[in-house]
Amino acid sequence: MTATGRRTLKNITDNIFTYSRCGGFSIKQEIWIEKYRPKRLADVVGQDNAIGRLISYVHTRNLPHLMFTGPPGVGKTASAVSIARELFGDTWHSNFTELNASDERGIDVVRHKIKNFARTSPVGDAEFKIIFLDEADALTGDAQSALRRTMERYTRTCRFILSCNYSSRIIEPIQSRCAVYRFGPITDEAVVKRVRYIADCEHLDITDDGIDAVKYVARGDMRKAINALQAAAMLGTAIDRDAIYQITATARPEEIGKLILSAYNGDFAESRKKLDDLLTRQGLSGEDVVGQIYRAIFDVEEIPDRKKVDLIDKIGEMDFRITEGANERIQLDALLAWFVLSGGTYND
Amino acid sequence: MSRPDDTQDYTPGESIEWSEKYRPKTLARIAGNNKPVSDLCAWAKAWKHGMPDKKAVILYGKPGIGKTTAAYALAHDFNWEVIELNASDQRTAAAIQKVAGSASRTAALCGGIRLIVLDEADNIHGNADRGGAQALAKIIKDTSQPILLTANDLYGVSPSIKNLCLPIAFRSMQSRSLIPVLNKICQNEEISCDIDVLQKIAETAHGDVRSAINDLQAVAQGKSKLHVEDVVTSSRDPRDTIFDALKKIFKGKDIKEALNATYNIDETPDDLIQWIDENLPAQYRGADMARGFAMLSRADLFLGRVQLRQNYRMWRYAGAIMSSGVAAAKSREYPGARFMPPSRWRRLRSTRTSRQIRDAVSEKIGLMCYVSQKYARLNVLPFIRILFSNSDYAVPLAARMNLDLDEIAYITGSKKGTKKVKTIHQEAREMAESETSEHIETFGRLGAYREGSEEVAGAVRAEVHMQPQKPRKEPKKEEKEEKKEKKPQTTLFDF
Repeated sequence: MTATGRRTLKNITDNIFTYSRCGGFSIKQEIWIEKYRPKRLADVVGQDNAIGRLISYVHTRNLPHLMFTGPPGVGKTASAVSIARELFGDTWHSNFTELNASDERGIDVVRHKIKNFARTSPVGDAEFKIIFLDEADALTGDAQSALRRTMERYTRTCRFILSCNYSSRIIEPIQSRCAVYRFGPITDEAVVKRVRYIADCEHLDITDDGIDAVKYVARGDMRKAINALQAAAMLGTAIDRDAIYQITATARPEEIGKLILSAYNGDFAESRKKLDDLLTRQGLSGEDVVGQIYRAIFDVEEIPDRKKVDLIDKIGEMDFRITEGANERIQLDALLAWFVLSGGTYND
Repeated sequence: MSRPDDTQDYTPGESIEWSEKYRPKTLARIAGNNKPVSDLCAWAKAWKHGMPDKKAVILYGKPGIGKTTAAYALAHDFNWEVIELNASDQRTAAAIQKVAGSASRTAALCGGIRLIVLDEADNIHGNADRGGAQALAKIIKDTSQPILLTANDLYGVSPSIKNLCLPIAFRSMQSRSLIPVLNKICQNEEISCDIDVLQKIAETAHGDVRSAINDLQAVAQGKSKLHVEDVVTSSRDPRDTIFDALKKIFKGKDIKEALNATYNIDETPDDLIQWIDENLPAQYRGADMARGFAMLSRADLFLGRVQLRQNYRMWRYAGAIMSSGVAAAKSREYPGARFMPPSRWRRLRSTRTSRQIRDAVSEKIGLMCYVSQKYARLNVLPFIRILFSNSDYAVPLAARMNLDLDEIAYITGSKKGTKKVKTIHQEAREMAESETSEHIETFGRLGAYREGSEEVAGAVRAEVHMQPQKPRKEPKKEEKEEKKEKKPQTTLFDF
């Protein structure tokens, strides 16, 4: 398959958007991460502790300022939106606003945009509004300190929900004003459960190894899992392992394992052939391959721990060089040569 | 409905944040911090008999321990009107002038007193709030009304403001004095709970009353009974999880587990590497330790790349090498040593004050000598130190740079309270005052001229612009003299 003919996730999601922009299409063209975004808190999977508490806020119809921390795709936004839906019902759109702090990160956004929303009274019979500040750790220090008093001052009309990847990037005075909930990576079981549910709803016929592939691709990120599933479904309703790997530009984990092992065991020619296959026939990018080698190396039992770490260092080095503009083929060849050297079974 | 006492009534279950709902309205109801509250009271009482020596106070201390609350409670107790200006408003010179300026000069309508509250005085921002600090200092000088500032960090407040204020320190609360506060709220909200629940919440809060109340609300709202298992909000102090990760790294055998443990902590790789770096020498010996540090060094290189290129993918290699790498570096088991937080942070914290004084001094020297702060610190400061051993130089220099006690103490290397420091400070002030009165007429005219021709903002800008001129014009001449005079001194270096 040529590079232009690649059916990667990005091409396909682009297509989905183009189709839906053309108008007149039924709900089938909806993007699934939106379609299956939890509507109620009870539907948010894999965060049982936090969700239990959040549900009780909804029951009492009151909530403190909240801060959600955790990696992407684990339900932070979904939880915030669900809280708003459940609290406000039909008026949730008017009483809820989302600001992405990484788009507007300066002090002005706090002094103008946030303040303006915060100080007007809620619509309908809602008692307060909710501002969801996504990626709040992207706010500058100035902006964060300006936010402190706003949070307190408008507490009668407005509650804040902040989301961030690391709470240590949020200044202490703000953390002190929030109840902090940590969202961990979603367990594989929870991902599988949700993927199966969606597959049923969409009448997909997905094999068990297909499910495993989704799990591998997602790595605890629900958004990635659902995107992969929808992309694969564009090829047909029968989904297996290959469909998932092909559509997400992912090599099968076994292939990467073989690639590593043959190099480590001294067969440079063989491993290079495998690499060629991934890059040209399967259309993976150098970065994809490096990333997968990094993930796979932990599970290669033949390599002792210290050598693994040294090789990770080399992988990182090659990754860095590739992103700095070096030729990915040459860097990957050199990486394989490092593996040969590390294995020690070669003839001078 | 229950009524805890007659001054404040609460309705259980009302939809409002508890930290607002239970914010004490009177000074008497503020828990803990008795000394600062009585200091504050004494200052306020002085206003009954005309203006006190310091017209402004600055309340400083960690977040959530009652500074802003005390400000409002004070106004309530003394029946003062409050005018608030906080960081969520713009605080440029013009804005401060507009809100606080007129209020500070004129009394309230009914003839009462107005309290001007300026939150977060350590956060008057360089660029967005240009000129704010100078304007504020001027307002404090001119005010006829009490002004109250709050700050987390006293040394973050510009020295020109700090010198005009009476500083009052608020301390974090012990968890045992927090428990009664939480208990009272529980009674009022009709929630029954065990003391160990409150204990747990109080401890996680680390002296921060507001976050303790927030956490209580987070776990208790809508319940009638609380158990320890209900306390699920995350600790703001991430120690538990980081200790777990350190254990997996230093004691564990599985390098993948060591890496996975780092995914579960709410800490960036930059912070994690500090923890590992601190504990490595105590955990490993000999070659293992060397191997461990070699790993940290590599990991740090990747962190540097993240910093330099904003290439966050490099974090994964940094994280893997610092965790798995250090885990794999050991060749035997070591006896357990306690994990310690990075001492570098502690040192930085303890030297922060002196670093801030150092920077303030360097900035003043830089202004006087037309050099950068860094150059002043490295090249001019040692020289100024030598000059300060002679009070003939020390006094005029201190006067020209408007040095405060801390700064003089820093330069002379003596303690703040010593007679030497006090004398230089006192004489310098007298010298500065006599000089100012000589020139006050000239500057007065200049100010009036500008004010007349431009609008208010312009006048403020002019004022700001004027500030450095004041020392500049005068010193220039003296500086030349001084340089001449310095000559014999410079020979010191020739020896």
